[in-house]
Amino acid sequence: MKLNELKIGESGIIKKIYAKEPLKSKLLSMGFARGEKVKVLKHTLAKNTFDVDINGVNVALREEEAKEIKVERKNNERN
Amino acid sequence: MKEIKIALVGQPNVGKSHLINSISGATLHVGNFSGVTVEKKEVEFERNGYNLKLIDLPGTYSLHPYTPEEKVTKDFLLNEEYDLILNVIDSNQIEKNLIFSFQVADLNKPMVIAFNMYDEYSRGGGEIDTDKFFKLINIMAQNVSAKEKFGLEELFNKVIKTYEGKNTPRVYYSEIIEEEIENVKEKIKEVKFDKRFTAIRLLEEDEDIYKLVHEKPWYIDLVSQLQESKKVIRNEYDNDDVKEIFFEERLALSKGIVTQIAKKAKKETLSEKIDKILIHPILGLPIFLFVMWAIFQLTFDVGAIPANYIGAGFSAFGEWVGGLLPNGLVKESLVNGVIPAVGAVVMFLPNILILFLGINLLEQTGYMARAAYVMDGVLKKFGLQGRAFIPLVSGFGCSVPAYMAARTLKNPKDRLITMLVIGFMSCGARLPIYILLVSAFFAPAIQGDVMFAIYIGGALTGLIVAKILRVVLFKGEPEPFVMELPKYRFPRLKAILFDLWVKTKMFLKKAGTFIAISAFTIWFLSSFPRENIVKEYSVKIEQVKSVDKKAALEEEMNQKILENSYIAHIGKAIEPIFRPLDLGWREDVSLLAGLAAKETVVSTMAVLYGAGNADETSKSLIEKIRNAMPFTAAVAMIIIVMFYSPCVAAMSTFYAEVPQMVWKIFYTIYPNVFAYIAAFIAVSLIKIFS
Ligand SMILES: Nc1nc2c(ncn2[C@@H]2O[C@H](COP(=O)(O)OP(=O)(O)O)[C@@H](O)[C@H]2O)c(=O)[nH]1
Repeated sequence: MKLNELKIGESGIIKKIYAKEPLKSKLLSMGFARGEKVKVLKHTLAKNTFDVDINGVNVALREEEAKEIKVERKNNERN
Repeated sequence: MKEIKIALVGQPNVGKSHLINSISGATLHVGNFSGVTVEKKEVEFERNGYNLKLIDLPGTYSLHPYTPEEKVTKDFLLNEEYDLILNVIDSNQIEKNLIFSFQVADLNKPMVIAFNMYDEYSRGGGEIDTDKFFKLINIMAQNVSAKEKFGLEELFNKVIKTYEGKNTPRVYYSEIIEEEIENVKEKIKEVKFDKRFTAIRLLEEDEDIYKLVHEKPWYIDLVSQLQESKKVIRNEYDNDDVKEIFFEERLALSKGIVTQIAKKAKKETLSEKIDKILIHPILGLPIFLFVMWAIFQLTFDVGAIPANYIGAGFSAFGEWVGGLLPNGLVKESLVNGVIPAVGAVVMFLPNILILFLGINLLEQTGYMARAAYVMDGVLKKFGLQGRAFIPLVSGFGCSVPAYMAARTLKNPKDRLITMLVIGFMSCGARLPIYILLVSAFFAPAIQGDVMFAIYIGGALTGLIVAKILRVVLFKGEPEPFVMELPKYRFPRLKAILFDLWVKTKMFLKKAGTFIAISAFTIWFLSSFPRENIVKEYSVKIEQVKSVDKKAALEEEMNQKILENSYIAHIGKAIEPIFRPLDLGWREDVSLLAGLAAKETVVSTMAVLYGAGNADETSKSLIEKIRNAMPFTAAVAMIIIVMFYSPCVAAMSTFYAEVPQMVWKIFYTIYPNVFAYIAAFIAVSLIKIFS
């Protein structure tokens, strides 16, 4: 599944970054790397923009960018 | 004295600026990086017999630059002369920050790291063992707090030690990668960078470095090795993207080191709690609009209180000067020209300061980034992205830094669109004009709302124009939106006050020099030629007896002088152009003067409406224009000021930022055409409906 399919409060482990350069480097430098845990903190009403936590860093990104990140949902995750 | 030239680098928001401001005994120079308008701050100070010179480079996430500003940092690190790199890190985000540090460490230059925000980090129970850090990768580091000013002197000691010992980092990647780096390195003969660094960057597919070796005679030899090495790495990591492999490599290294040197702090939860409300899916947008509305209300209402006193102060000052000086041209130019004009501008300083304070607070507390998040959806509809929000809001303060802030936009189209509409965000210098006209022509109860409407109207128009530009001239997708939301922080009172003080000083300096001179010029142009008129009237005035009649004649004379003055000739020459907007020549001239600086619009009005002649019986500028201008003219003037070209300073910034001639010309013309048409439509509508 993709990052934009996670619900608020859900976490996932990043499996792959589909994005092309230079966006890919940008995402990587913000900490979106394979194996990292990412949690959806919030999204706007229309799910256009997401606010996620990646390794303690708060990052806002759009649905288009979130779609470029493949994740695997983590179940019964607290915190 | 020996100078150590230090490049100061770090990811955005790690506290570099704060650190620079916290160095005691330092002098600050502000300039530009050559060829670009990115602000370059340099601080110099002495320690242990050395002259330390810090050059603050733009905040950067990675040496694979994404924005033009990040490119500035990379170019500097690669091509400029410096002795040492000082890398500032946010202790709360060591892992992410170190990825960048390792890229920089590859340069193999003497390097020191400052773990900043250590106050916050240690309060949360965190600890960093810098000795161990040094043992692991041979980079001296110091825990510091720019805010509470500890660790800084120790940091500079380490800088000097590193410099004296020519101590360079020893950051090594995993064996397979190191082996290939070694293989590539062997093929590199002479190159201006460190060979290992060159090899790493080539493996990472860095275009800049690639171009450099492309011309070398040993290139053929190198390229086959490079292909070979990349293949080995790709196979080993089962990933086609070597750049990504290096990122992951550095992240893994970073995590490994962090577990060895750091005890993690408790997670800060305050930001998350505040965000629950401030960027709430439904409430977020209304809250944002309310915040902006509140800022403009305060700007208008609270600012008006001291403004009246300042106005009164200047009138009193004018009278006092008038009483002091002998009659003559000097007195006349001061009392009727310069003093009231400067007063009319300075009166609005409180309003401007409040507006700046508001924008400053948005920025400093971290709310600005949230607003970008909240607004992203809206901006997207207009073909922009959330990040464009920051230059746009800065535009309410001043267009010059706003044009510069647009550099955080990567995509040239996005940047150009944003820059073309920044002028529609009314800057602080236009505030006095609005206040003057709104106070004169609208009922007190709704003045605050009218002001807000002017600003929102300008902003909305800007967005619509952005959309049109996007559809008509710049087809294509807006750039991706990925942006860090920094923690909420309590604003630094001292820094904010200092900032306001600097703004005040600059404003007063401008008022005392530029505005005063232009007021004098306008006064001169509006008072001459007059010999014949004066002759004619002095005879008449002699003849009448009553004081009232004398005064009336004098008034008539002044009016006649003005009507015949040089400036009236200029004004009347352009009057036909503006007549459809119901504007008189005084307004026309004021608007033209506003191209030099928006403050001069009000000061010119003050001179041309003879505010200086005000004694107790005659009226203030507000009342004078209320009587002289029709309502339609006031509306037309407001609209023109909202949209026409900004001041010369802003225009030259735009010219410096945008290389293409076509866009320079477009930018110079279209706002004025737009302003004229908009004003004409508004005036026509008012006439139809009243
Ligand atoms: N608690 C704490 N806050 C800091 C420290 N240094 C900077 N800050 C805050 O961090 C934010 C970003 O700092 P700034 O200097 O603008 O970062 P820059 O982007 O690196 O120049 C500001 O709100 C600062 O007040 C520090 O040592 N401790």
